[in-house]
Amino acid sequence: MKRFLLLLAVLALAMTACAPAATPTPAVTREVVVTRVEVTREVEKPKATVRLSGWAANPQETALLESLLYRCSLKNPDVVVKYEPITGDYWAKIKTLVASGEEPDIYYMDIFQFPFFVSKGVLVPLDDYMAKSGVKKEDFIKTLIDAFTGPDGKVYGIPKDFNTLALFYNKDLFAQAGIPEPNENWTWDDLKNAARKLSDPAKGIYGLGVPADPGRFPIFVFQNGGRIMTPDFKDTLLDSPEVIEAAKFYTSFRAEKIGAIPADVGVDWQGTGFGQGKLAMVFEGGWLIPYLREQFPNLKWGATFPPKGPKGRGNLIFTVAYVISKNSKNPEAAWKTIECLTSEESQTVVLSTGFALPSRAKLTEHEYFKTHPESLVIFKGAEFGTPFMWGLRGDVVNEQMGKALERIYLEGQDVGASFKQAAEEVRKALKEQQ
Amino acid sequence: MRIRRRQLGEWIAAYVLLSPYLFVFLVFNVFAIAYALYLSFTYFDLFSPPRWVGLGNYLYLLRDNLFLQKAVPNTLKYVAVVVPVQTVISLLLAFALDQEIKFRRFFRTLFYVPSVTSSVVISLIFLWLFKKTGVINQLLGLSIDWLTSPTFALPTIMIVNIWATTGTMMVIFLAGLQDIPVTYYEAAMIDGANRWQMLRHITIPLLRPVIFFVVTMGVIGCFQVFDQIYVMTAGGPLDSTTTIAYLIYKWAFQSTTPFMGRASAVAFVLAGMILIVTVIQRRLIERPGEV
Repeated sequence: MKRFLLLLAVLALAMTACAPAATPTPAVTREVVVTRVEVTREVEKPKATVRLSGWAANPQETALLESLLYRCSLKNPDVVVKYEPITGDYWAKIKTLVASGEEPDIYYMDIFQFPFFVSKGVLVPLDDYMAKSGVKKEDFIKTLIDAFTGPDGKVYGIPKDFNTLALFYNKDLFAQAGIPEPNENWTWDDLKNAARKLSDPAKGIYGLGVPADPGRFPIFVFQNGGRIMTPDFKDTLLDSPEVIEAAKFYTSFRAEKIGAIPADVGVDWQGTGFGQGKLAMVFEGGWLIPYLREQFPNLKWGATFPPKGPKGRGNLIFTVAYVISKNSKNPEAAWKTIECLTSEESQTVVLSTGFALPSRAKLTEHEYFKTHPESLVIFKGAEFGTPFMWGLRGDVVNEQMGKALERIYLEGQDVGASFKQAAEEVRKALKEQQ
Repeated sequence: MRIRRRQLGEWIAAYVLLSPYLFVFLVFNVFAIAYALYLSFTYFDLFSPPRWVGLGNYLYLLRDNLFLQKAVPNTLKYVAVVVPVQTVISLLLAFALDQEIKFRRFFRTLFYVPSVTSSVVISLIFLWLFKKTGVINQLLGLSIDWLTSPTFALPTIMIVNIWATTGTMMVIFLAGLQDIPVTYYEAAMIDGANRWQMLRHITIPLLRPVIFFVVTMGVIGCFQVFDQIYVMTAGGPLDSTTTIAYLIYKWAFQSTTPFMGRASAVAFVLAGMILIVTVIQRRLIERPGEV
């Protein structure tokens, strides 16, 4: 208050000083008095300001968030949310902001990065806030809310949306090869037989995209009953028989020239190769759908669950939550904002725009899925999915998994030897963790 | 007494005038470097306070395969190829454009354009040119995975960088060439020297300080190569383009658990390497010129 008045006084002085000599001074003074009354009223209703940061994926998603924030501002008139998207390297930026204590009150948290943040105690546990406002864990898809639960059993993030992998297929290529389109009962053998019939290396067409990508390969491990890490994340299982067997199957596609990595077909990302009709099948997430719609509107495609492996289904879950910073001066206001952004109402809006799959379990029944079966496939993938998270040194696990596949692809190394080498490197890194 | 007081006045004036720069220098250079040096002796993950580990980070480097077998050899290879090649090419270009040829100004501008272009933009353009189905393969009638093959990725980045920096070096050489008084050449001509002799005994010796400058700048720039790698290969495939500077970034910012201490240690090792090479160079290039 005092500061405002002081500022006004200075302003008044400045205005008087700046006023041209010809202007009658009294008129100016009167104006200032009017302003003063207005500001005093304003100050009587204090608003809590919270800052919210996320990565800026694309203009549409930013617009979606802004429209949700507008709805929330009507619901919580006493909270002002300042949206500060971060462009460029989000994690480098957010980590340095946390280090200097200047991070936003609310920010996006990817499950892959979550273990480090939670282990360092820089996030606010949300259980008490949830209890107070009647938000139940059961309202959210179990795997998602469990993923953002810390080792102490407390919830540290409210999942905002998620993705899983689906088997996308090119309908025209299937028709040309004269084979039935994939369905949810497919097995590994069906996948391989189809890839064999779909491939035509002379024309640069391959059956399946099999990139050296740690964000794709693990579904085969899960379908084979294996794991990437032990349940406590203290050791890796990259050299276990289940993983090596899965890797042998995964890499056999390219070895038999019925599968390809993106570079083989001259693209950076297999989604592009799929759109161009060079890859008949790819495992991708919901992000491929708007991309295909915009870039390849004439492509006829479908999507179904990834095939069952020897040990049943398996999938990866990519998920992002809203978290509250321990440094937040307004955790109450921050919680109100998160509560509103993840409310059933907001999540329904998210779903109907088609940009992301919301985290509320109840929305399976939503009519949007009746007209968008491919999104339902990705939504339901969560039921048998594992979060994309390998513990505190997830970066090394990812890197070594990718390199193990690259060594097999680019240097012709033996599958077993390559994954053993990867496991050793991961163990070394886990030991170096001081 | 009087003189002393005047000197004092001059000193004060000098330091007052210098103070804005000195302030920035102290805060953003001296303090930052000193703090990084301190961090290099600690374990620091950004979220917890730094913990003193003595020489731990430096000793770690001595047994880390990524540093010893990839980053250091890759960086040395890179410097050993790029510096001589870009120096020779830019010197030849400077000789050519120092002659009275047609469209001289046009060519000078043309060769300098890459130097004023953002390195990220250059990297993105070359990323497209070097695709398997890209222009370079089409022109050469090849089908090489330039950037996704462990054999070709580093040479590809070398080519891009040589292309991008040659123009800058050329301009510096041009300035150096035009600094050499014409009278020397006239005198040499009267003495009956041929072009080769003039180059060997007049141009090269008088250009020595410029050559030293260009090579030093080239060495420092090459030791610190980062942007092209960040954009084009991200250190891959199979670490074939992981250089020391990229490793600093990788450990500091790409790790789920940041290793700021280890990254700082690498930064100081890199600075030490650059210092040593520059001192050796000074001995080799500059001394004979001065005598």
